[in-house]
Amino acid sequence: MTPELERRAPAPVLAARGITKSFPGVRALDRVDLEVAEGEVHAVLGQNGAGKTTLMNILFGLIHPDEGELYLRGRRVRFRSPHDALASGIGMVHQTRRLVPAHTVLENLVLGHPGGRGLLDLRGARREVEALCARYGVHVDLEARVWQLSEGEKQWVEILKALYAGVRILILDEPTSALTPPEVQVLLRALRALVDRDGVTVVLVTHKLPVVRAVARTVTVLRAGRVAARLVVSDTTDHELVQHMVGQEVTLPAVHTPDHPGPAVLQVEDLSAYNDKGLLSLRGVSFTVHEGEIVGVAGVTGNGQEELAQVLAGLRPAASGRVRLLGRDITHLPTLDRWRLGLGYVPAERAEVASVAALSLVENTGLNYHFDPEFCPRGLLDRDRLERLTRQILATFRVKAPHPYVRAQHLSGGNLQKLVLGRVLSRRPRLLVAHLPTQGLDVEAAAFVRAQLLEAKARGAAVLLISEDLDEIFAVSDRVGALYEGRFVALVPRSEADPETVGAWMAGSMGRPA
Amino acid sequence: MSELLVRSLEASTVFLLAALGELVNQRSGILNVGLEGLMLFGGTAAFLMAQSTGSYAAGLAGGIAVGSLLGWVHGLFSVRLRGDQVVSGMGLWILSFGLTTYLGSPRTGPLGLPRFPALLGLSPFVYFGILLVVAVWFVLSRTSLGLAIRSVGESPAAAAASGVNVAGIRYLCVVFGGALAGLAGAAYTLSYNPVWNYNFLMGWGFVSLALVFFSMWNPWVLLGGSVLFGAMWQLSLSPEYVLPGVLSRYVWRTVPFAVTIAILTVISTPWFRTRWGLAKPQALGVPYGD
Amino acid sequence: MKIGVYRLSVERAEAPSPTRVALGALLAVALALLLASVLFWTPESGPWAAYRIAFGYAFVNPSGLGATVHRAVYLLLCTLAFLIPLRGGLWNIGLPGQVYAGALAAFAVPFWAGARELSSGTAGGVALVSMPLAAALAGAALGALVGLLRAKLAVNEILVTMMLNSVMFWLVSDFIKEGGAFMSATAEGESFTLPEVFRPPLPLGLPPSAFLGLAAAVVVDFVFSRAAAGYRVRTFGLNPHAARYAGIDPVRVSLWVFVLGGAFSGLAGYHYFAAVPGLYKIPTNYGYYGDLSFYGIICALIARGSALGAVPMALLFAGLSVGGRFAQGALRLPFGVDYAILGLLMTTFVLSHLVDRYRVVWQRAAPAPTSAPPRPEGAR
Repeated sequence: MTPELERRAPAPVLAARGITKSFPGVRALDRVDLEVAEGEVHAVLGQNGAGKTTLMNILFGLIHPDEGELYLRGRRVRFRSPHDALASGIGMVHQTRRLVPAHTVLENLVLGHPGGRGLLDLRGARREVEALCARYGVHVDLEARVWQLSEGEKQWVEILKALYAGVRILILDEPTSALTPPEVQVLLRALRALVDRDGVTVVLVTHKLPVVRAVARTVTVLRAGRVAARLVVSDTTDHELVQHMVGQEVTLPAVHTPDHPGPAVLQVEDLSAYNDKGLLSLRGVSFTVHEGEIVGVAGVTGNGQEELAQVLAGLRPAASGRVRLLGRDITHLPTLDRWRLGLGYVPAERAEVASVAALSLVENTGLNYHFDPEFCPRGLLDRDRLERLTRQILATFRVKAPHPYVRAQHLSGGNLQKLVLGRVLSRRPRLLVAHLPTQGLDVEAAAFVRAQLLEAKARGAAVLLISEDLDEIFAVSDRVGALYEGRFVALVPRSEADPETVGAWMAGSMGRPA
Repeated sequence: MSELLVRSLEASTVFLLAALGELVNQRSGILNVGLEGLMLFGGTAAFLMAQSTGSYAAGLAGGIAVGSLLGWVHGLFSVRLRGDQVVSGMGLWILSFGLTTYLGSPRTGPLGLPRFPALLGLSPFVYFGILLVVAVWFVLSRTSLGLAIRSVGESPAAAAASGVNVAGIRYLCVVFGGALAGLAGAAYTLSYNPVWNYNFLMGWGFVSLALVFFSMWNPWVLLGGSVLFGAMWQLSLSPEYVLPGVLSRYVWRTVPFAVTIAILTVISTPWFRTRWGLAKPQALGVPYGD
Repeated sequence: MKIGVYRLSVERAEAPSPTRVALGALLAVALALLLASVLFWTPESGPWAAYRIAFGYAFVNPSGLGATVHRAVYLLLCTLAFLIPLRGGLWNIGLPGQVYAGALAAFAVPFWAGARELSSGTAGGVALVSMPLAAALAGAALGALVGLLRAKLAVNEILVTMMLNSVMFWLVSDFIKEGGAFMSATAEGESFTLPEVFRPPLPLGLPPSAFLGLAAAVVVDFVFSRAAAGYRVRTFGLNPHAARYAGIDPVRVSLWVFVLGGAFSGLAGYHYFAAVPGLYKIPTNYGYYGDLSFYGIICALIARGSALGAVPMALLFAGLSVGGRFAQGALRLPFGVDYAILGLLMTTFVLSHLVDRYRVVWQRAAPAPTSAPPRPEGAR
């Protein structure tokens, strides 16, 4: 490094050197270096599974590296827990919310505040937080319970919390993933204000290039747990960044939409349902999915997608309306009978709902076959048949597992998802409901899952894909729509919409960008 | 009649002390279904200590110490080792049930000390219990520690990300819960009914556990529930005050237990849950850790 | 911890092998016996003498062996009553209450037949079938109440079963004390003695309930390992969300495991109070027999939910409690040795859990990197 360059780039305020971290079966990070200069936005770019979140959790003291060191303003630091990181002025906004849903916004902000010893001073805290809100142009009801807020508002609460705690280095993990496009603009503006006006340092983790372009000065690109490149954003092109990020391109087969849709498989009329809090969160949706068709439903989490999927699977009662499968009214049919009729359901929670961690893969296959007379003649499970089928699924769906009797808890998220999808598709379902099927998967696994959805469609299945990833929806769907506050904003053939329009729908707006 | 009132209040206090400790450790997310066992062991330790030293103070100290120790053991298993809290709680209960029967049997019978000193005609535990309700309410709702306890019980991941020491808070609460369970046992064997008998509690601890669920984790509601159950318990022992000559006295003894089942059923209905069910700590009974 | 070039660490073992599990169970029992020797220790005779007396009585002495076997069957039935709901993730600690319900129902049959007055009469095979049947139905009814509350409203089953234990305890008192319906005409506080004709035959010295219990253990084991029904219960127990996803009806599972559990407890009540030589009545200290049923909990837990594995456990614990009581009398030990063993077993069981959850790992510590990692391309 020449002296000249050193003067141009300010001394790193936060640095990580040679960070290595392994989890059972995977090396998440391999000798990763990171340097963040004071008062800049530094982006950490990478695909899902590149190790971004692991690295950030290490910077925040949530997990400990196997090897490597952290330096804060040139001094070696060891964070035993987030408490230490916070005390050093490092705050983190996680990808999944770390707020107490039952508490008020204000209580969440006060929790763990360095000044909070002894008695709670909610009134004083309120004054300070209101000043902060005014400074960054944020409106949040401080007395609202967090579970009542939208995802975007919750994220703001977390950012406010970090600022209120006096954080000077703010780590944001995929902050735009839960936001609608207009909300993203507000966030990016506020981040610029934070850095330019208040000199806060921001480490921004993302897999989206436009976000990097919009706010970051420097970027570290991670690929498969290693640093692929460290660049100044203005000196590089999008193409260069993508190449560092992806390595090699993964291509999907083109979507072929037949001219004449097949017969209707799923008919939903004016369907409503309550969520767990007893609020009507699905409010009268009507749509049809035909044979050999993929309908992609976009939406920000919490707009009724989960309820829709669960009502279709029979796991949540419908408050009103009607569901027909192959012409038969299944609105009040138990889950089991729906499986028998040809439903296939891939829930979002692959580890918690779609599999039993303590059972072997063979016994997990039983989840989709315990009611099938071919697999349990005279009420006894035919283990040999189940094992044969499991081996077949492992092979065709390229699941990495040592043997079919390993427990489900030992599979990684991607392998587990492929297994679940394989199990469900092996039943040759007439209707496939897939909820967030590629969430948290690495690029290859996600591409494989999407290809399987297309394959199911080619076999004549009706597919309802519920996803937050617009690219995914546009990659495979014949028709696209968006749920907002429990209603369809629109549902149109893919050729009549583009990602920007659907993004606006996700925010509840019908408007098309000019 | 006033004797009945005094006895009722003293019975209420035993329920209250045990349930208040359990309330605090449930607010931090730790369920201890072995409450009855902690009370049995605490009560037996208090009885044996008091009898052998002749000092009530030593008895109380013994009861609290043993209760705290068992609370800590439960913490070790459920916080540090992230075990199944029901297994650990049941284990503590059967352990206590078995060992206290063995340890206490040779001393079966009355305590043999002068009556526990009374204050204005009531056992001092009654006043202490009420003070403790105020203290627990104040700490939980008005202090940073209380906010940390409630957060750990609702969402330990959120609390940890805020820099709260989840394990530390849970240990603190579970030991506090154990200490109060031990104290409740001591209040029983030293003051309420100073006669040792095998398995002398016969379900007091389990009723206290149910009271925590009834209270919707609110110390004031718990106070009301305890007073109600204390009175009901006392009446079931002397039904002649209400309905002399109706049904055998054994049938009356079943009443508090049957009422407990009835209330448990009512508070579990969807009608009740959607209105008041949100008070339950979300992380109750769920192990936390990497 | 680092010793030389080795690193010593305690790690969570993800999936304990069956051998580890069996080892853990044996270790738990062995440790409990070792700890129990402290209880047996007296200045005059060391612990070995006590063990010799206890085991000699329980497994060699003919009358002791009989008592052991009868008790083992009782414990086995209680074990099944706890084990079936446990496999479904539910805790049936209502064993005593269901045992009492079974006993009361069994004695209701001869009571209605007028047995309280007659000392001899005609009963025949009908009574021999109807008594265990009534007992099983009564236990099942009590279990059904718990199962329904659990399934429909998610009422905590531990609390409900415990409350029912107390309710049933006092109801038994109501029936056999102070002029209760079943009170003996000659003795206060115990039930009438079962007339000869109502006592079941004893082929090989064992009542039919003993064979029923053993057969049930085999069937339950088979159902859980092979049948789809057992698979559904296990899945529900391990992950209720996944069970619902798979179309397994949570209401049916919760209800049936408790109905079956209650039926086995009820049968246990029939077995011990109405079918075993020596008692043939509900005695004053019926509470002691109720307490013994808790051995069923520890038996099922130590056998890790295996119905067949519970058979030797039940025999061992029966012998321990029968022999322990005998040694207690012979050596003038304090009352409650059998209770203490129960407590010790529970402790060592919880400890044994740690044996298969955690393991100590010796590792060669990785050598420190000798050279600095290369700086990546494009770094500025």
